[in-house]
Amino acid sequence: MDPKFQYTHVKLLAFDLLSLLQTPSFSSDPICFSRLGKSLSRAEILGLVTSREHKPNKFLKFTIDDGTGCVSCILWLNQLASPYFSRRSPPDVRLIADVATHFASDIKIGVVARVRGRITSYRGVVQITVSDVVIERDPNAETFHRLNCIKLARNYYGVAAPLNAAVETCY
Amino acid sequence: MAFSAIKSGELVTLNDLHPSSPLFKNGASLRVTGKLQEYTVETAIAIIADGNKILKIDTQHLRDLSFRIGSVYQFIGELVVQPDNEAILQARVGRNVDGIDLNLYHQSLQVLRQFQADHLKNSTI
Repeated sequence: MDPKFQYTHVKLLAFDLLSLLQTPSFSSDPICFSRLGKSLSRAEILGLVTSREHKPNKFLKFTIDDGTGCVSCILWLNQLASPYFSRRSPPDVRLIADVATHFASDIKIGVVARVRGRITSYRGVVQITVSDVVIERDPNAETFHRLNCIKLARNYYGVAAPLNAAVETCY
Repeated sequence: MAFSAIKSGELVTLNDLHPSSPLFKNGASLRVTGKLQEYTVETAIAIIADGNKILKIDTQHLRDLSFRIGSVYQFIGELVVQPDNEAILQARVGRNVDGIDLNLYHQSLQVLRQFQADHLKNSTI
Protein backbone atom coordinates (compact mmCIF):
# COMPACT_ATOMS: atom_id res chain seq x y z
CA MET A 1 0.00 0.00 0.00
CA ASP A 2 1.16 3.51 -0.74
CA PRO A 3 2.36 4.81 2.68
CA LYS A 4 2.61 8.47 1.61
CA PHE A 5 -0.23 9.59 3.90
CA GLN A 6 0.44 7.12 6.71
CA TYR A 7 1.42 9.83 9.22
CA THR A 8 -0.64 12.71 7.82
CA HIS A 9 -3.94 13.90 9.23
CA VAL A 10 -5.87 13.55 5.97
CA LYS A 11 -8.82 15.93 5.64
CA LEU A 12 -11.83 13.81 4.80
CA LEU A 13 -15.56 14.35 4.54
CA ALA A 14 -17.55 12.06 6.84
CA PHE A 15 -19.04 9.88 4.08
CA ASP A 16 -15.54 9.37 2.66
CA LEU A 17 -14.04 8.50 6.06
CA LEU A 18 -16.87 6.09 6.85
CA SER A 19 -16.33 4.25 3.57
CA LEU A 20 -12.61 3.55 4.09
CA LEU A 21 -11.56 0.00 3.38
CA GLN A 22 -10.84 -1.89 6.64
CA THR A 23 -8.38 -4.77 6.47
CA PRO A 24 -7.29 -6.98 9.39
CA SER A 25 -3.60 -6.41 10.11
CA PHE A 26 -0.86 -8.28 11.98
CA SER A 27 0.98 -5.07 12.89
CA SER A 28 0.49 -3.12 16.18
CA ASP A 29 -2.78 -1.66 14.89
CA PRO A 30 -5.39 -4.40 14.60
CA ILE A 31 -7.05 -2.85 11.55
CA CYS A 32 -5.50 -1.16 8.56
CA PHE A 33 -7.47 1.61 6.81
CA SER A 34 -7.06 2.56 3.19
CA ARG A 35 -8.59 4.69 0.47
CA LEU A 36 -7.92 3.85 -3.17
CA GLY A 37 -4.81 1.90 -2.21
CA LYS A 38 -3.39 4.56 0.08
CA SER A 39 -2.81 3.58 3.67
CA LEU A 40 -4.29 6.06 6.17
CA SER A 41 -3.98 6.16 9.95
CA ARG A 42 -4.94 9.71 10.94
CA ALA A 43 -7.71 12.05 9.87
CA GLU A 44 -9.04 15.56 10.32
CA ILE A 45 -12.77 16.15 10.21
CA LEU A 46 -14.87 19.25 10.81
CA GLY A 47 -18.56 19.61 11.54
CA LEU A 48 -21.30 20.31 14.01
CA VAL A 49 -21.35 18.45 17.30
CA THR A 50 -24.76 16.76 17.40
CA SER A 51 -24.45 14.47 20.42
CA ARG A 52 -22.23 13.98 23.48
CA GLU A 53 -22.01 11.27 26.11
CA HIS A 54 -19.70 12.09 29.01
CA LYS A 55 -18.35 9.55 31.50
CA PRO A 56 -16.21 11.65 33.88
CA ASN A 57 -12.60 10.41 34.18
CA LYS A 58 -13.32 7.79 31.53
CA PHE A 59 -14.26 9.21 28.14
CA LEU A 60 -16.29 11.69 26.14
CA LYS A 61 -18.01 10.22 23.13
CA PHE A 62 -19.45 12.70 20.65
CA THR A 63 -20.72 12.88 17.09
CA ILE A 64 -19.53 15.19 14.33
CA ASP A 65 -22.04 15.83 11.52
CA ASP A 66 -20.61 17.55 8.43
CA GLY A 67 -23.74 17.10 6.32
CA THR A 68 -22.37 14.05 4.51
CA GLY A 69 -22.39 11.68 7.49
CA CYS A 70 -21.99 11.36 11.24
CA VAL A 71 -18.62 10.36 12.66
CA SER A 72 -18.35 9.01 16.16
CA CYS A 73 -15.39 10.43 18.11
CA ILE A 74 -13.91 9.10 21.34
CA LEU A 75 -11.86 11.36 23.59
CA TRP A 76 -10.21 9.39 26.39
CA LEU A 77 -10.22 11.01 29.84
CA ASN A 78 -8.77 8.10 31.83
CA GLN A 79 -5.08 9.05 31.65
CA LEU A 80 -4.64 9.33 35.43
CA ALA A 81 -5.95 5.81 36.07
CA SER A 82 -4.88 3.97 32.94
CA PRO A 83 -1.94 1.49 33.18
CA TYR A 84 -1.06 2.56 29.62
CA PHE A 85 0.32 5.84 31.05
CA SER A 86 1.86 4.36 34.24
CA ARG A 87 5.40 4.33 32.82
CA ARG A 88 5.33 7.99 31.83
CA SER A 89 6.29 10.80 34.16
CA PRO A 90 3.38 11.95 36.37
CA PRO A 91 3.67 15.65 35.35
CA ASP A 92 3.45 14.65 31.67
CA VAL A 93 0.41 12.46 32.31
CA ARG A 94 -1.22 15.26 34.33
CA LEU A 95 -0.63 17.65 31.41
CA ILE A 96 -2.14 15.20 28.89
CA ALA A 97 -5.14 14.67 31.20
CA ASP A 98 -5.64 18.44 31.64
CA VAL A 99 -5.56 19.02 27.87
CA ALA A 100 -8.10 16.23 27.32
CA THR A 101 -10.37 17.68 30.04
CA HIS A 102 -10.11 21.10 28.40
CA PHE A 103 -11.08 19.61 25.00
CA ALA A 104 -14.03 17.84 26.64
CA SER A 105 -15.32 21.10 28.13
CA ASP A 106 -15.17 22.74 24.67
CA ILE A 107 -17.31 20.05 23.03
CA LYS A 108 -20.92 21.20 23.31
CA ILE A 109 -23.90 20.39 21.13
CA GLY A 110 -24.18 22.96 18.34
CA VAL A 111 -20.52 24.05 18.17
CA VAL A 112 -18.43 23.47 15.08
CA ALA A 113 -15.36 21.42 15.95
CA ARG A 114 -12.26 20.54 13.97
CA VAL A 115 -11.16 17.15 15.24
CA ARG A 116 -7.89 15.37 14.58
CA GLY A 117 -7.01 11.90 15.66
CA ARG A 118 -6.31 8.28 14.85
CA ILE A 119 -8.67 6.39 12.61
CA THR A 120 -9.98 3.44 14.60
CA SER A 121 -12.89 1.07 14.38
CA TYR A 122 -15.58 0.19 16.90
CA ARG A 123 -17.94 -2.67 16.13
CA GLY A 124 -16.93 -2.45 12.49
CA VAL A 125 -17.67 1.27 12.13
CA VAL A 126 -14.92 3.80 11.53
CA GLN A 127 -14.45 6.31 14.35
CA ILE A 128 -11.86 8.88 15.44
CA THR A 129 -9.81 8.46 18.60
CA VAL A 130 -9.32 12.14 19.35
CA SER A 131 -5.93 13.76 19.84
CA ASP A 132 -6.79 17.40 19.12
CA VAL A 133 -9.91 19.60 19.13
CA VAL A 134 -10.29 23.16 17.86
CA ILE A 135 -13.62 25.00 18.10
CA GLU A 136 -14.25 26.99 14.92
CA ARG A 137 -16.00 30.34 15.26
CA ASP A 138 -15.75 31.43 11.62
CA PRO A 139 -19.18 30.66 10.04
CA ASN A 140 -17.40 29.90 6.76
CA ALA A 141 -15.01 27.32 8.25
CA GLU A 142 -17.20 24.40 7.21
CA THR A 143 -17.50 25.66 3.64
CA PHE A 144 -13.72 26.05 3.33
CA HIS A 145 -13.15 22.62 4.87
CA ARG A 146 -15.69 21.04 2.49
CA LEU A 147 -14.03 22.56 -0.58
CA ASN A 148 -10.57 21.69 0.76
CA CYS A 149 -11.54 18.04 1.30
CA ILE A 150 -12.93 17.78 -2.24
CA LYS A 151 -9.82 19.39 -3.77
CA LEU A 152 -7.45 17.14 -1.81
CA ALA A 153 -9.47 14.01 -2.60
CA ARG A 154 -9.53 14.79 -6.31
CA ASN A 155 -5.92 15.95 -6.70
CA TYR A 156 -3.96 14.01 -4.07
CA TYR A 157 -5.84 11.28 -2.22
CA GLY A 158 -7.79 10.17 -5.25
CA VAL A 159 -4.95 8.85 -7.37
CA ALA A 160 -5.01 5.10 -7.01
CA ALA A 161 -1.84 3.25 -6.04
CA PRO A 162 -1.08 -0.30 -7.22
CA LEU A 163 -3.12 -2.80 -5.19
CA ASN A 164 -0.12 -4.94 -4.19
CA ALA A 165 1.60 -1.86 -2.71
CA ALA A 166 -1.51 -1.29 -0.60
CA VAL A 167 -1.49 -4.79 0.80
CA GLU A 168 2.26 -4.71 1.61
CA THR A 169 1.91 -1.68 3.89
CA CYS A 170 -0.88 -3.35 5.89
CA TYR A 171 1.25 -6.37 6.69
CA MET B 1 -28.99 8.30 23.58
CA ALA B 2 -28.16 5.64 21.02
CA PHE B 3 -25.33 6.92 18.89
CA SER B 4 -26.13 4.70 15.95
CA ALA B 5 -29.60 6.30 15.70
CA ILE B 6 -28.27 9.79 14.99
CA LYS B 7 -28.70 10.61 11.36
CA SER B 8 -26.69 13.17 9.46
CA GLY B 9 -28.58 16.31 8.48
CA GLU B 10 -28.32 16.47 4.69
CA LEU B 11 -27.24 19.91 3.51
CA VAL B 12 -30.11 21.51 1.62
CA THR B 13 -31.22 24.94 0.52
CA LEU B 14 -34.79 26.06 1.13
CA ASN B 15 -35.17 26.01 -2.65
CA ASP B 16 -34.62 22.22 -2.57
CA LEU B 17 -37.64 21.73 -0.31
CA HIS B 18 -40.58 21.55 -2.68
CA PRO B 19 -43.31 18.87 -2.50
CA SER B 20 -41.97 16.94 -5.51
CA SER B 21 -38.44 16.71 -4.06
CA PRO B 22 -37.27 13.35 -2.62
CA LEU B 23 -36.04 15.33 0.39
CA PHE B 24 -39.56 16.57 1.13
CA LYS B 25 -40.71 13.68 3.28
CA ASN B 26 -41.59 12.97 6.88
CA GLY B 27 -38.58 12.20 9.03
CA ALA B 28 -35.95 13.44 6.56
CA SER B 29 -32.89 14.64 8.49
CA LEU B 30 -31.85 17.97 7.05
CA ARG B 31 -29.59 20.93 7.70
CA VAL B 32 -31.13 24.21 6.57
CA THR B 33 -29.80 27.76 6.54
CA GLY B 34 -31.70 31.04 6.35
CA LYS B 35 -32.30 34.50 7.69
CA LEU B 36 -34.63 34.73 10.68
CA GLN B 37 -37.83 36.43 9.58
CA GLU B 38 -40.10 35.77 12.56
CA TYR B 39 -39.83 34.21 15.97
CA THR B 40 -42.67 33.57 18.42
CA VAL B 41 -41.55 33.04 22.01
CA GLU B 42 -44.84 31.38 23.11
CA THR B 43 -44.69 28.65 20.46
CA ALA B 44 -40.89 28.63 19.90
CA ILE B 45 -41.63 28.64 16.17
CA ALA B 46 -39.14 30.45 13.97
CA ILE B 47 -39.49 31.26 10.29
CA ILE B 48 -36.33 31.44 8.22
CA ALA B 49 -36.04 32.72 4.66
CA ASP B 50 -33.61 32.23 1.81
CA GLY B 51 -34.50 34.30 -1.25
CA ASN B 52 -38.27 33.98 -1.68
CA LYS B 53 -38.48 30.60 0.09
CA ILE B 54 -39.38 30.25 3.75
CA LEU B 55 -39.45 27.38 6.26
CA LYS B 56 -40.95 27.00 9.72
CA ILE B 57 -38.62 25.71 12.43
CA ASP B 58 -39.79 24.27 15.73
CA THR B 59 -37.06 25.34 18.17
CA GLN B 60 -38.62 24.05 21.42
CA HIS B 61 -35.78 21.55 22.00
CA LEU B 62 -32.98 24.08 21.56
CA ARG B 63 -31.18 25.60 24.52
CA ASP B 64 -28.71 28.47 24.80
CA LEU B 65 -29.67 29.98 21.45
CA SER B 66 -30.93 33.56 21.29
CA PHE B 67 -33.00 34.64 18.33
CA ARG B 68 -32.50 37.94 16.57
CA ILE B 69 -34.62 38.93 13.57
CA GLY B 70 -32.41 39.46 10.52
CA SER B 71 -29.63 37.16 11.73
CA VAL B 72 -28.73 34.04 9.79
CA TYR B 73 -29.25 30.65 11.47
CA GLN B 74 -28.54 27.06 10.65
CA PHE B 75 -30.63 24.18 12.01
CA ILE B 76 -30.36 20.41 11.92
CA GLY B 77 -33.50 18.42 12.49
CA GLU B 78 -36.22 16.20 11.12
CA LEU B 79 -38.85 17.37 8.66
CA VAL B 80 -42.54 16.98 9.47
CA VAL B 81 -44.83 17.31 6.47
CA GLN B 82 -48.37 18.23 7.44
CA PRO B 83 -51.46 17.07 5.50
CA ASP B 84 -51.71 20.43 3.74
CA ASN B 85 -48.11 19.91 2.48
CA GLU B 86 -46.77 22.54 4.81
CA ALA B 87 -43.43 21.45 6.26
CA ILE B 88 -41.87 22.23 9.61
CA LEU B 89 -38.40 21.27 10.78
CA GLN B 90 -38.18 19.87 14.33
CA ALA B 91 -34.76 21.28 15.18
CA ARG B 92 -32.39 19.37 17.45
CA VAL B 93 -29.32 21.55 16.81
CA GLY B 94 -29.15 25.25 15.96
CA ARG B 95 -26.55 27.96 15.66
CA ASN B 96 -26.13 31.54 14.58
CA VAL B 97 -24.08 31.85 11.37
CA ASP B 98 -23.99 35.62 10.90
CA GLY B 99 -21.18 36.38 8.47
CA ILE B 100 -21.61 33.25 6.40
CA ASP B 101 -21.02 33.72 2.68
CA LEU B 102 -24.29 32.21 1.43
CA ASN B 103 -23.27 32.44 -2.20
CA LEU B 104 -20.11 30.42 -1.57
CA TYR B 105 -22.09 28.06 0.69
CA HIS B 106 -24.60 27.32 -2.09
CA GLN B 107 -21.82 26.83 -4.65
CA SER B 108 -20.00 24.45 -2.29
CA LEU B 109 -23.16 22.33 -2.05
CA GLN B 110 -23.25 21.96 -5.83
CA VAL B 111 -19.57 20.97 -5.88
CA LEU B 112 -20.22 18.53 -3.02
CA ARG B 113 -23.13 16.85 -4.80
CA GLN B 114 -21.02 16.35 -7.91
CA PHE B 115 -18.16 14.95 -5.81
CA GLN B 116 -20.48 12.53 -4.01
CA ALA B 117 -21.99 11.39 -7.32
CA ASP B 118 -18.49 10.79 -8.74
CA HIS B 119 -17.49 8.94 -5.58
CA LEU B 120 -20.54 6.70 -5.82
CA LYS B 121 -19.89 6.04 -9.51
CA ASN B 122 -16.22 5.13 -8.86
CA SER B 123 -17.09 2.84 -5.96
CA THR B 124 -19.54 0.85 -8.10
CA ILE B 125 -17.10 0.29 -10.99
